[in-house]
Amino acid sequence: MLGKLLKQEFRATGRIMLPVFGALLILSVFANFSIRFLDSSMSDSAVLRILAVIVLIFFGFAVFGAMIVTLWLMVSRFYRNLLKDEGYLMHTLPVSVHGLVWSKLLVSLVWFIATGLLILAIVSLTALIQSGTNLSELFAQLPSWAEIKALLSAHGIHSGDITIFFTELIALILLGSIAGCLHFYAAMAMGHMFSKDKILLSIVFFVALSFVLSLATNLLGFRLHDLAALTVEKGELEMLIFYERRLLRFSLGAALLQGALLYFATTLSLRRGLNLS
Amino acid sequence: MPILECRELSKRFGRTTALDRVSLSIEPGRVIGLLGPNGSGKTTLIKLANGLLTPSEGEILIDGEAPGPHSKAIVSYLSDKEYLPEWMTPKQLMDFFQDFYADFDRARAEEMLARLGLDPAQKVKQMSKGTREKVQLILVMSRRAKLYLLDEPIGGVDPATRDYILDTIIRNYNPEAAVVISTHLIADVEPVLDEVLFIQNGQILLQSSVDSIREEKGMSVDQYFREVFRC
Repeated sequence: MLGKLLKQEFRATGRIMLPVFGALLILSVFANFSIRFLDSSMSDSAVLRILAVIVLIFFGFAVFGAMIVTLWLMVSRFYRNLLKDEGYLMHTLPVSVHGLVWSKLLVSLVWFIATGLLILAIVSLTALIQSGTNLSELFAQLPSWAEIKALLSAHGIHSGDITIFFTELIALILLGSIAGCLHFYAAMAMGHMFSKDKILLSIVFFVALSFVLSLATNLLGFRLHDLAALTVEKGELEMLIFYERRLLRFSLGAALLQGALLYFATTLSLRRGLNLS
Repeated sequence: MPILECRELSKRFGRTTALDRVSLSIEPGRVIGLLGPNGSGKTTLIKLANGLLTPSEGEILIDGEAPGPHSKAIVSYLSDKEYLPEWMTPKQLMDFFQDFYADFDRARAEEMLARLGLDPAQKVKQMSKGTREKVQLILVMSRRAKLYLLDEPIGGVDPATRDYILDTIIRNYNPEAAVVISTHLIADVEPVLDEVLFIQNGQILLQSSVDSIREEKGMSVDQYFREVFRC
């Protein structure tokens, strides 16, 4: 059933996200034309120059707007589809609460990643064009993988360490995003267990959860500072690697724990305290 | 085995008791009217049966199990709310129901849509309130469910559509299924009812067959309801 829920969720969100991506791509093309125009000798006309600048401003807003829409969609799909009137349809489907929550989580995660990658690609290309950098020249200037490996191994870092580092970093981004979504979901699900002031209570739960989670993370993470102090006698780079590795793993563990607690709070609230009215 | 059973079922919202130690049993093959004044607990009982609320005390069983994915696969529920996503069309909604409910009869839904002259490509947000209710009812009645829970199915529609809806309920009658209709419009539904449940202040006042009321009280269900709930 999760596959069917995912299909439905992609259909419901795709009708918003795909036009947003389309608009972003079209604006990026216009933004690149504007940059070239402003740089070229044809740019004597003040009106055209103003137009080109306006296009660039719109492009900036569109990049920011795409991020806001992705975040808004994550919150509003959970709220409207599970806690408002559409909930009468969704909560009477022969699926578990876990299926409902995971479908929202996974689809939000896909749109986060897609938005992030698209913005990264568009902004990087625009910046490269603006700086007049030739892509082939840029790639030619980059050090080869063998050179990077040699440089790193000189400092005692092996390619296996790099693989682990990037795997952990990607896992942290994914887990952090999931925990971030669940923070909103848990607050909304808890706030909607009550008959009145559901939105206000959702905000209160959001703030309360933020406070509790950051307090717990800081208390648990306090030992990291001691570890850092203990590694002062080591070399600067080695200390940094030592410290970063522990920080990354601690962050991974914290995101996993936070995600698990928030997932439990969300599903328990929906199963035991669902109060559609 | 009863298709729906409540054992000492209570539901409280804060200090308000919506259902108070309700015990009842509904057998398959019956059309039951859940009748009571506003705020008597009808919608709460139906929501509990659908797992949209959780009991404060006691239990509610559908086909012998607490509400969950199993019960939801055999219960077809019509809410008193408009719950269809506004961006969807009847065609997309039929795809959706077909995906999730193994008992959804698409041909039946398409036939009902055509008979009521509804456009399968029209978005829900472009429909009138009455049309939305018709689409909801068509989807719900197009399932070959074991238990239909219909909360105010004829409240917001015109008399002609009301007749069509009641006719649809009767035509789709399945001897293995039970239909529970919650409504204020007793005179309209009376001809299709086998049994009635009178509910007031969260308590079941009466569970009786329609024939018994007529024979023992010498009056129609509508008349008897007015007598019991006289203000």
